[in-house]
Amino acid sequence: MGLTGLEIYKKLPQTNCGECGSPTCLAFAMQLAEGKAELSECPDVSDEAKAALDAASKPPIATVTVGAGNYEREIGGETELFRHDKTFFNETGVAVAVSDEEDVAAKVEQINALSFERVGQDIEVDMIAVTNDSGDADTFVEAVQTVADNSERSLILVTEDSATMEAALDIVADQNPLLYAATADNYEAMTELAKDNECPLAVKGEDLDSLAELTKKVDYEDLVIDSGARGTSEVLRDQTVIRRLCIKKKFRPVGFPTITFTTKEDPQEEVMQASTYITKYAGIVVLSNTVELAEMLSLLTVRQNIYTDPRVPVTVEPNKVYEVGEPDENSPIFITTNFSLSYYSVEGDVSASKEPAYIIPIDTDGTSVLTAWAADKFGGAKIGEILTEEMDIEDMVDHRKLIISGYVAVISGKLEEASGWDVIVGPRESSGIPNFISNRWESELNE
Amino acid sequence: MIIIGERINGMFNDIGEAIKNQDPTAIQEWAVKQLEAGANYLDANVGPAVEDSPEVMKWLVEVIQDEVDAPVCIDTTNVDAMEAALEVHKGTAMINSVTAEPSKLEAILPLVKEYEAEVIGLAMDKTGVPKDSATRTAKAMEIVANVDAHGIPMEDLYVDPLILPVNVAQDHAPEVLETIKQVKLLADPAPKTVLGLSNVSQNCTNMGLINRTFLVMAMAAGLDAAIMEANDQEMLDSIATAEIILNNDIYCDSFLKQFRK
Repeated sequence: MGLTGLEIYKKLPQTNCGECGSPTCLAFAMQLAEGKAELSECPDVSDEAKAALDAASKPPIATVTVGAGNYEREIGGETELFRHDKTFFNETGVAVAVSDEEDVAAKVEQINALSFERVGQDIEVDMIAVTNDSGDADTFVEAVQTVADNSERSLILVTEDSATMEAALDIVADQNPLLYAATADNYEAMTELAKDNECPLAVKGEDLDSLAELTKKVDYEDLVIDSGARGTSEVLRDQTVIRRLCIKKKFRPVGFPTITFTTKEDPQEEVMQASTYITKYAGIVVLSNTVELAEMLSLLTVRQNIYTDPRVPVTVEPNKVYEVGEPDENSPIFITTNFSLSYYSVEGDVSASKEPAYIIPIDTDGTSVLTAWAADKFGGAKIGEILTEEMDIEDMVDHRKLIISGYVAVISGKLEEASGWDVIVGPRESSGIPNFISNRWESELNE
Repeated sequence: MIIIGERINGMFNDIGEAIKNQDPTAIQEWAVKQLEAGANYLDANVGPAVEDSPEVMKWLVEVIQDEVDAPVCIDTTNVDAMEAALEVHKGTAMINSVTAEPSKLEAILPLVKEYEAEVIGLAMDKTGVPKDSATRTAKAMEIVANVDAHGIPMEDLYVDPLILPVNVAQDHAPEVLETIKQVKLLADPAPKTVLGLSNVSQNCTNMGLINRTFLVMAMAAGLDAAIMEANDQEMLDSIATAEIILNNDIYCDSFLKQFRK
């Protein structure tokens, strides 16, 4: 949304000179708000007014690219406070810190292993933050080199010494690392480095006020910001204030993605802290101690779920056979849709029956049984075609019986015709499945 | 939806009589009745029968708040009467109303600020009710700028784009709907919007139907409040339904009942 009439009016010179063509500044402000006039028509327009209009035409939060190659990722670019209002767009970058004082190669190997396949997607730690704890430039460069040699993950170079940063950039600048961080003391040198190497730059303040002052001074667009807060509640507060100021107030100095750091040493607590930051707007979260997949998996799952588009139905991979328990040649086959709520309702109730079974979710673009049926995506002919032409279900069982939801009993005739299988009309609700299996399946099977 | 009950108005015979005789019975009955039906504010207007004096307005506010714990919408054009009423009013009052006329703004907005009241701003000046949406919006903008200059929170301003009867001024209704949309864009946070709803159906047939149809359309355009007959059950059903369809209230099967709680 652009600026409101009142916001523009307050930035106009209030001369009511009429040279813009409108009788009053107020009238001109309204013309501007409606896009019917140009700011340049005002003879006395200030730089402040120009900046305000410029701010209004930009997205509230800049999009910044970190890394290169396989692990290049965009952060920022968000427009919402709550994901259900639209969606969150760019997943939080999850980084693990490696100190230049520890066994770098060994930790990088652990980080590389933090990768998992979940509901068909690879989810993994995608950044490594190399920290200059030694305070020594050569040690830092060596650590950066080791990380770069052993991992493709995006790099975050953590040192406030610009000479050390420059030395590290000599070897990894082409990997588009994030430089962390410009502070009140070093921002001029750091900004030069970021500009020369075209790398994103993190700006760190002492608090929100000093952060906003600092970003105004830094003449560079590819910024990632850090308010300096480290306690969970302080980070939560700052993250919320920053996001609100960007979106609600179009406050440019904090219109950038954020970077957050966990402080807890126990991995379970660290993951909880990081989860909080992911749910509350962090562009990047840097952990230090969580290097076991069992611990990291929950965090990566949180990220995947939070950034799922709520406007798109969640689906399971369709047109394939899912096994619940260890079904055999006498187990029932349930037909449902690939809407995950439908599929998992059936799956949950089949599991509850304690009897093994097969479930086949038909591709309905992720819509439920009745929705798909009403939209002509769950007709007997179509399902029959998928079962016979795309799948190999004959070899799975000795019987020739399919079970469909009672709500779509009407498709059974067409489905029998198209598939050549007998169709059993099951219960309407999946909650009736355990009862169906224990009381009806055996007699149906022997019929 | 903020409902401002319209019934305590001297133009109704029972209220007119009550004011003339200084007998609070009918006034207090209507205060209770409107609040029970779901009104959030009680409009109070002394009407044509007696002089709109500070004493009468003050008495009216006092007898209402003696009976019920609810804010009053002080409906008068007399600035002295406004101030007298504000002095005795308990809680956050609403002033009904100010126009974009500079003299009115200068007289009334300092009172609004001093008493931390809310105020209805009519999108018109002394030249009368504008015909088109652009002029209405421009008048609203003048009020918005003045409200801001007086340091009154924008959420405390209710812009009334002025609806006229649909039988004699039919072309105004779509302009009013457009004005409601435009007013929401004037400031951030946006001023609220309000309508003197019953006006749309004056001397028409099927008044209730016209009122509630228009209200639903205005709600879709972004209307926040209405001065209306709070005891019209079909109207309340329409509002409750509109709130559901606009995704303002979360749906449940008993939404008509829940809305009245």
